[in-house]
Amino acid sequence: MIVIKDLTKIYKLSNKKKAELKTKDSEKVAVNGVSLEAHPGEIYGLLGPNGAGKTTTLRCVATLLKPTKGEITVCGFDSVKEGKKVRDKISFLTNEIKLDPHFSASYMFDFFGGLHGIDEEVLANRKADFFKRFDILDFQDKKIEDLSTGMKQKAAIAVSLVHDPEVIIFDEPTNGLDIITARVVTDFLRELRDAGKTIIVSTHIMSEAQKLCDRIGMIIDGKKVAEGTLEELLESESAEDLEDAFFKVYKRIKGEDKIS
Amino acid sequence: MKGAKRIIKKELARVFKDKKLIFTMFIMPAILMFAIYGLIGTLMKSMNSDITEHRDVVTIVNAPASFKETVKATGYDVMASVAYTDASSYTTNKSQYRDDVENGALDLLVVFDEDFDEAFNAYAKNGDRIPSIDVFYNSTENYSSKAHNVFNTLVANSYRQALQTVRFGDLERLEVFSVNEELIEKEAKKGTEFLSTMLPYMIVIMLFSSAMGLTVDAIAGEKERGTLASMLLAPISRTEIVVGKLVSLSIISTLSALVYCVSMIFAMPMMQEGMGAGGVNLSFIGIDTGLMLLATIVLMNLLFVSLISAVSICAKDTKTASSLIAPMYIVVIMAGVMTMFAGGSEMAIWKYAIPVYGNALVVQQICSGEPQLGSFLATIVGLVAAIAILVGLTSKAFNSEKIMFNA
Repeated sequence: MIVIKDLTKIYKLSNKKKAELKTKDSEKVAVNGVSLEAHPGEIYGLLGPNGAGKTTTLRCVATLLKPTKGEITVCGFDSVKEGKKVRDKISFLTNEIKLDPHFSASYMFDFFGGLHGIDEEVLANRKADFFKRFDILDFQDKKIEDLSTGMKQKAAIAVSLVHDPEVIIFDEPTNGLDIITARVVTDFLRELRDAGKTIIVSTHIMSEAQKLCDRIGMIIDGKKVAEGTLEELLESESAEDLEDAFFKVYKRIKGEDKIS
Repeated sequence: MKGAKRIIKKELARVFKDKKLIFTMFIMPAILMFAIYGLIGTLMKSMNSDITEHRDVVTIVNAPASFKETVKATGYDVMASVAYTDASSYTTNKSQYRDDVENGALDLLVVFDEDFDEAFNAYAKNGDRIPSIDVFYNSTENYSSKAHNVFNTLVANSYRQALQTVRFGDLERLEVFSVNEELIEKEAKKGTEFLSTMLPYMIVIMLFSSAMGLTVDAIAGEKERGTLASMLLAPISRTEIVVGKLVSLSIISTLSALVYCVSMIFAMPMMQEGMGAGGVNLSFIGIDTGLMLLATIVLMNLLFVSLISAVSICAKDTKTASSLIAPMYIVVIMAGVMTMFAGGSEMAIWKYAIPVYGNALVVQQICSGEPQLGSFLATIVGLVAAIAILVGLTSKAFNSEKIMFNA
C-alpha cells in the first residue's frame, strides 16, 4: 500500500538549468501538493504529459528523492525516516536505472538477492521460475551488454523482483520495447496485481493506461487534476475514451489555445 | 556491513573473471617493464662495448722522443692508432685538424710546444716558463670523450711522472704524504640510493595512475550508465555502498601498482647491468620494514581511490571526472618529485602526516634502510584522517539527490 499525502517537490535551479529551461526563476515546482493512495491488488496509473511530475513522484516513493513537503508511506514505513525498510518492500523500474552491463542476468539476480538477504535456496527457485517465465534461460549467462533492448528489459524486471516485493513501481514500463515484449510486461503486471501486489505505473500512452490500470490519476504541471477508475473518468468528463477525457481535462486546466 | 562485502565480491569478480582485464592490469605491466628495461640494458651494453672496443684515432704534433718512449711503454701505440706529425704540417692544416675533431674523423689531437724539451730542461726556478701540451677533443662524440679519458689517465700521467723522476729523482719526496681511505658503510644502505630516490616517486605515480582509470569508470562511469542508481535502491545504507566500492577498488589498484613496482625492481638490474652499475639492494626489506612499506602503500592507495571517488561522484560523466582529476595527478607527481630532493635533512614530525608528500618521504626512509617509527606513525595517522574525511564526503555525495540524480 502506498499513501502519498500532500507531496510537494521543489528543485533548486542552477544557472545552467535556468538557461536550459529558459527561466529566471531559481526554483521549479515539479510536484505540487499531490495526494493519492494505491492499494494492494490494484494497478494505479499516473497519467500525464512529459515533465508533468510523474517520474519525480515515483522517485520520491522509491526513496531516491526526498519530498520538500508532505509525506509518503509504503506498507506503513516512512520514505524518509525508514528508507531502508521501504526499499526492501519495493521494486522500482525506470529507464535511467540499469543493470551493470559487465555481468550476466544470472549474476545480477544473485547479487541483488544477496543484498536483500534472500535465502540461497529460495533465490535459486525464484530465479528458475522468473527466468523461465521471461524466457531468460537461453541468455542468462551472457553479459548484459551483449543483450538486445528487449532482453535487457526482461532481465531488469526479473532482477527487480528478486525479493518478491509487495509494491511495484514502474516508470514508463513499456517505453522503448517492441510490442511483444511490451505485452509480456503488461501481462506480468496484471498477474502480479492478481497476486495481491500494489502496483503503480506512470505512462503517457493513453491506450496502455486504459487497458492496464484499475485507477488513474491525471497529473498536469505537478498537480493531480483528476482521479478515478476508467469508467468514473469517462463519465465525469463525458468522454468516449481516456484520450478524449484527458484532453478535456487538459483544456480546462491549460486553456484551449495550448493544444493546437 | 554484509552489503559492503557483497559489493566488494562483485567488484573483484568484475576484474578477476575477465581475462582481458587480468591481462591488461596485471600481466602486461610486468611484461612491459621487463621488455623496456631489458631493451634499454641491451642497447646500453652494446653501445658501451662498442665504445670500449673502438680504436682511438689520435694525432700527436711535435712529440718529443721521451714522450714517444712513454707511448710505447704504456702500450698506447697498440691500443690506439697514433699518428705523429711535425709543426710545419700542423700549421698548414691546422683548421683541417680542428674540423676533423669536430666531425668525429679524429678522436684526439695532442699538440706539444715546439720547444717542449728545451723549456723543460731550462726550467730553474719558480716563475720560469713551463712547457705545455694542448689537447683537443669533442665531448659530444662518445669515441672522442673516451679517447680523452684514456690519454689523460694512461699516457699524460705516466709522462708527467717520467719527467718528474728525471727532475727530482725520488718521487716520494714530492708526494710528501699518502692518504689511506677506507669505506665504512651500513650493509643495508649500500646500493639503496637509486631505490630511495626513485621508488617513492614511482610508487606515488603508479598508485595514482592505476587507481585513476579504474575508479573513474567504477564511480563516474557507473553513475553515467545508471548502474549506480540500481544499487541505491537496495536496502543497504549509502555508506555500505561507498565502503564496498572503495575497498574493492583499492584492492585491485594496489595489486596492479604492486605488479608495476615489483617488476620494476626486478627488471631494473637488467638496465643497470647495461649501464655498468651495481645491482639493486633489496636487503632493507625485512618483515618489519616490509609491513611498514605495505601498510603505507595500501593506505596511500585507499587515499587516492577515495580522492578520485569523491571527485568522480560529483562529476556528471567520466569525461568531466577525468578532466577534474588531471590537475590532481600533476599535484601528486609534484609531491613525488619534491621527495627526490628532500632527502637527508631533519624534518618536523608533522610534515610526515601531509598526505602524499609525507607518505612518499616515509617510503623513502624505508627504502634507504632507515625506517623511523615516529614518522611512520605520523604518516599513518595523516592518511587515516584524510581517508576518513574523503569517505565521509563521498557518502554525503551519495546521499545528495542533486549529485546523484541531478535533481
